Amino acid sequence: MFSKYALNTRIGFFLAVRHLRRASIWTTGLIVFVMVLTFLNLVVVSGILVGLIQGAVDQVRYEFTGDVIISALDDKKYIENSPNLITLIRSLPEVEAISPRYSEGATLEANYKTRKETDKPNTTGTQIFGIDPRNEDIVTGLSKSVTEGAYLAPGDYDQVIVGQFLLSQYVPVDDPNFAALDNVEVGSKIRITIGEVTREVTVKGIIKSKVDALTRNVFMADSQFRSMIGRTDGNVDQIAMLLKEGVDPALVRDKLKLSGADQFAKVQTFEDAQPKFLKDIIDTFSMLGTAFSSIGLVVASITIFIVVFINAITRRKYIGIMKGIGIEGGAIELSYVFQSIFYALLGSVIGLVLVYGFLVPFVASHPINFPFSDGILVAPLDLTFFRVGLLVTATIIAGYIPAWMIIRKNTLDSILGRN
Amino acid sequence: MIETKNLIKTYANGDLETHVLRGIDLHVKEGEFIVIMGRSGAGKSTLLYQMSLLDEPTSGDVVIDGHSTREMSDAEEVLFRLQKFGYVFQDYALLPELTALENVVLPLIMQGLSKREANIKADAALTRVGLGERLHNIPSRLSGGEQQRVSIARAIAHEPKILFADEPTANLDNESSDVVMDIFKELHKAGQTIVMVTHEERCAKLAEKIIKIDDGRIVSVTENGRGEFL
Repeated sequence: MFSKYALNTRIGFFLAVRHLRRASIWTTGLIVFVMVLTFLNLVVVSGILVGLIQGAVDQVRYEFTGDVIISALDDKKYIENSPNLITLIRSLPEVEAISPRYSEGATLEANYKTRKETDKPNTTGTQIFGIDPRNEDIVTGLSKSVTEGAYLAPGDYDQVIVGQFLLSQYVPVDDPNFAALDNVEVGSKIRITIGEVTREVTVKGIIKSKVDALTRNVFMADSQFRSMIGRTDGNVDQIAMLLKEGVDPALVRDKLKLSGADQFAKVQTFEDAQPKFLKDIIDTFSMLGTAFSSIGLVVASITIFIVVFINAITRRKYIGIMKGIGIEGGAIELSYVFQSIFYALLGSVIGLVLVYGFLVPFVASHPINFPFSDGILVAPLDLTFFRVGLLVTATIIAGYIPAWMIIRKNTLDSILGRN
Repeated sequence: MIETKNLIKTYANGDLETHVLRGIDLHVKEGEFIVIMGRSGAGKSTLLYQMSLLDEPTSGDVVIDGHSTREMSDAEEVLFRLQKFGYVFQDYALLPELTALENVVLPLIMQGLSKREANIKADAALTRVGLGERLHNIPSRLSGGEQQRVSIARAIAHEPKILFADEPTANLDNESSDVVMDIFKELHKAGQTIVMVTHEERCAKLAEKIIKIDDGRIVSVTENGRGEFL
């Protein structure tokens, strides 16, 4: 009626269920606890390591580049044919909002009114962005990063918001190579020089963020910026795009490229625009996470091995009796394998609930405050299930080997407790 | 039905050799109740283990229904033990996490019976030994005598050709011993072939053939009270 393997599986399952049902709840609890910790070690350690970089990537995406960023070609000063490109972008149904930006290198100077002839000028170099405050806020939520003073209004004249690291009181280290303006706060007057044009402006707000593009740059209303740089042709330097929810940025990038946009500009998703070192760090941290996780996996395997070995050796007599009355060794081995699978699966299920029901949403709403990013927990489902598979496989092997070692001993020696 | 031919069992420990069985020739007929007796260390349990294929002799042969077991593979021996033999051990040898019913059901499932068939047979076997009301008790909730009866039920549930019992009453009080021996008596009356090792004379009285061994040799065979020294 049943093949040998089906019978062994049936008996193995029968024995495993009875053993688990009547095992000490403390023992089972402890083993499952080890499995949960192993699972968390597998998923969370690498998830946090990758997440602290991913947090930085996400912040750059949500606070500066948007989902897709279009910028001038390397050999061009600005995006040629910008008005047509903007019209094309706005016609795409996937696009929620865009923020065209002007950008130029500039020198900032403070305390010029009180400076003596012999004093060193209080200056610093920076990049200034001319933005439509309303569009920029929709795309990047820039106003939320202005934590002192106020955000720009569309009609603001001679007013700027300044990144915190351009002001010496916010620079954590006194680096002689890193110039910052002294004694500048909200309401201070500073001088901006772009090429030959110099203008005095008032600091309306200070930007605090972990995104360098915000904290080391200056933003002003585009209407005024255009007059400073003398650009009246409507060509801009950057266009940050916010896409509708669920839209794949790569899809829009490819669509724009197909429409010929890449003849005039670099079209990149937020991921494409990441510096290579950031991608390398993500890969490195992922590798480190895998290495740490592997150690956890080995520890869990050894734990299961010891648990099953002790269990099997203390039950050696009963194993001998089972073999004596005609139960196949394979069936007894399978009973230990099923028990190991149970421990690994239960540990993984509890771990999954903890990770996706608690940790991921919690860390997403309360990011870990790393110095350079708001770290999140990166736990993609496919990778997590791969790790569950790893845990179960390691546990099966760790459960099978000791059972096999005990079961292959002589039946009568096992029954009589002889070595 | 079962025959041993010049059965020799020697244990070696370094240079030291211990001769436990020194050429046993024995014939058990179908339906016979045979008791093997002897002082401690005489080799009676070792003989039982060789006859029941739980151990391999150093030399000689065990022939069952005309078939030599000498060349049997491990898998064939396991199958043989499962299908043809039943075992009752001195210390009951029940699996502690299984109920009485589950202990009896286990080898039946291994024989390929469905859960329902196995339960019916196990229930019948336990009822036969007087434990029909205690099917769902785990061994630790049963007395020694009850545990031994579960062990007997497990041994007979699949209607084995031969029932081997190794000192089945050694751990029991007199009352429980009597109950267990009554079961053996009933089984024998129903035609069950039984080979039992015991050191208790009153248990031996039930058998129709008593084989006494000493120093690994059969020293006497007593049939129906008629002793014959070898």
